[in-house]
Amino acid sequence: MTTPAGGWGDVPGLVGVTEAHHETTLTVEHERLVEAALHLRDEAGFTFLADITAVDYLGYGTESVSGFLGTPGGRDLNAPMTQGLQAVPAEKSRRFAMNYHLLAIATPPRRVRLQTFVDDGESVPSVIRVWPTADWHEREAYDLMGIAIDGHPNLVRILMDDDWEGHPLRKDYPLGGEPVRFSGEE
Amino acid sequence: MTATAKRPAGRAIYEGTRIPYPIPTVLQTSQALWDTGDVMTVNFGPNHPSTHGVLRLVVDLYGEDVTGLAAVVGYLHTGFEKNMEHKTWWKCITYPERIDYVSYQNNEYVFVAAVEKLLDLEIPPKATWMRTLLCELNRIHSHLVWLGTSALELGAISMFWYAFREREQILDLFELVAGYRMHTRYFQVGGLAEDIPRGFYPEARKFCDWMPRAIDDYETLLTRNKIWLERTEGVGLLSAEDAIALGQSGPVLRASGVDWDIRRDEGYLAYHQVDFRVPVFAEGDVYARYRVHIEEMRQSVRIAEQCLDRLERMEGEPWIADDRKVVLPPRHELHTSMESLIHHFKIVTEGFRVPEGEVYTAIESPRGELGCYVCSEGGPKPWRVKFRAPSFVALQATATCMSDALIADMIAIVGSLDTVMGEVDR
Amino acid sequence: MALEGGRLRDQGLKSERLLWPTKGPSRFEEEVDDLEQRVGLTTLAKAVAWAQTNSMWPDTFGLACCAIEMMSIVTARYDIARFGMEPFRGSPRQADLLIVSGRVSNKMAAPLRQIYDQMLEPKWVIAMGACASSGGMFNNYAIVQSVDKLVPVDIYVPGCPPRPEQLVEGIVRLHEAVKAGVPPAYELRSVAS
Repeated sequence: MTTPAGGWGDVPGLVGVTEAHHETTLTVEHERLVEAALHLRDEAGFTFLADITAVDYLGYGTESVSGFLGTPGGRDLNAPMTQGLQAVPAEKSRRFAMNYHLLAIATPPRRVRLQTFVDDGESVPSVIRVWPTADWHEREAYDLMGIAIDGHPNLVRILMDDDWEGHPLRKDYPLGGEPVRFSGEE
Repeated sequence: MTATAKRPAGRAIYEGTRIPYPIPTVLQTSQALWDTGDVMTVNFGPNHPSTHGVLRLVVDLYGEDVTGLAAVVGYLHTGFEKNMEHKTWWKCITYPERIDYVSYQNNEYVFVAAVEKLLDLEIPPKATWMRTLLCELNRIHSHLVWLGTSALELGAISMFWYAFREREQILDLFELVAGYRMHTRYFQVGGLAEDIPRGFYPEARKFCDWMPRAIDDYETLLTRNKIWLERTEGVGLLSAEDAIALGQSGPVLRASGVDWDIRRDEGYLAYHQVDFRVPVFAEGDVYARYRVHIEEMRQSVRIAEQCLDRLERMEGEPWIADDRKVVLPPRHELHTSMESLIHHFKIVTEGFRVPEGEVYTAIESPRGELGCYVCSEGGPKPWRVKFRAPSFVALQATATCMSDALIADMIAIVGSLDTVMGEVDR
Repeated sequence: MALEGGRLRDQGLKSERLLWPTKGPSRFEEEVDDLEQRVGLTTLAKAVAWAQTNSMWPDTFGLACCAIEMMSIVTARYDIARFGMEPFRGSPRQADLLIVSGRVSNKMAAPLRQIYDQMLEPKWVIAMGACASSGGMFNNYAIVQSVDKLVPVDIYVPGCPPRPEQLVEGIVRLHEAVKAGVPPAYELRSVAS
């Protein structure tokens, strides 16, 4: 829906394009992320970085019992074969994904998601020189997910305490809290 | 938007930017000033009457000039996103409300909209219009809280009482329709949780008739008030390019001259079917942001009236989608239909399942672009939920707005960015 | 030693008596009555208690959603100025009452304790809302599960967020407890474990 006239072939490091739910996702290699970001900002006009989201795919596809009940054509209680088959989600190539949600303030407005996959230990280059707003978003990705950002001038914890150990939003980090005690029990 | 020349990703993203270097969000005192020995570092701690919640600002002061500024956040970090990964989709809806606790209906809506996008659900028009009405009432509520508290900090104490008088009326409306004043949890995946009660429309009409006069009262108090003008005009300047580079949205962006409003430009709910104006001012100072907020309140009342016009004719229509895999069946059916009973049981115990995928939904919350990224694994619980909070991004602009500011200006600027710390820290 | 008009239990706490004339004494009233008999207020102590309750100034410690409802008790409709409490002091040195309104994260725990320590005695604490009373809906790594692990609490006000009337009820009960001679929480108990 937001495909430019020449297609997305010009984006450096492009690995794949996905279209789903009226959204376009461009997957790039993390080594060429800054080039892709510059291209999208200057050539394609995506001057506004809305959000950076880090996702941890550890255990993806093993948690739920089965997939969604239904087929792309729809579900109908009275038509049994539309209930669909159990589907297990496809595996992701690496553990972490960094999603950059971009917006072009134009008429008509365009949105795109720039996505790159990294493994635990690999670092993602910073796009702070492309969009200065990335500063705190990248700090949050580092703080909560532990994804190292290369070239960030101030990579310290932002939401957790400075001396906190661990990265809370990772899937192998426990939820925490404590068991609820009830007043009647001894 | 005019075509931009190639900009090097080097020291400055473009000529004339006031964004600090090397860290865009930290204003640093120059070495020459440090050498004078007169610079004092002061902590505007997390508990401060004027920082709109638990925000900590570490400020370098040279006399009254603010020469260095760094914001420290995280004092309200609640772990929303991690908590939501452990709850079913239904139970998750209570969480987003508490993120931005002043515009809670908008937060509920953005999450519910993202889930409905993944499910590809069709929402009945009555629910769409009611959601629009509630989101607009919430916008007025949020602007009133902002106006009351920001004016209070600058010394216009009486504004606080006037603003909260109308706020009580809006909360009465919310209580009438949803049962509770704040954090109503009235939006459900598929529509509304319950039908709209009788007696709501006349009360809402009374409010919409009264509100424009109340806004006139606020303008009488502040808009041409000499003290207000001296404190806010020319303070906290943010240019349009800086605002876009810093990811600002909402009133801050529109006060800097950029004509961008997600309700009108991208459209969601019933905004493309109502008539309203989007206020844009070019000065980029605190006064312009104040004018934008006031004008937005007036436009919200207009939208609310148009929603009421449509809703009053929709008596008896369904308020939630009919998809029984996701939505509970009507209670009377449970006595007669076996399938309804089974669906009810499955939805309540296990929860409905949302197809695998990821979406990013953005709406125009009173603070700016509120986005919700949802990644589903195909199961009854979310895999990852992330909220793009406009206040988180707005606080990044504090350092840029603060060039040549005094302490008193700092209070005005931080107030004008309309931050809610629950959103910033999540 | 006895109050004019009989013991507090005979007069009943006005807030409940008006609504339920036939209601018997609640546990709270029985505890207050018990303490009254053991403590035995003198006239001077009663006068001091009267003065303390009628100008108990809160500290601005609004954290999250409950803070918005706390702000609305200052406004005209719920009006705590009738209790003498509308000046919310910015400095804890000038405040008597700490209304912890909102969720306390681990990062905020140290500033909270610091503010509490800076307040001068006598000082009281109201834990407003579910998050301050018990951690609320956030049973996770980030939120302290009840503020009474950090400071001794006098009154817990449930709700998410509590209606302004609920908070005013909590404040009224605190006033009545002080007038009855109940000492502030730091004299009765330490922080929870």
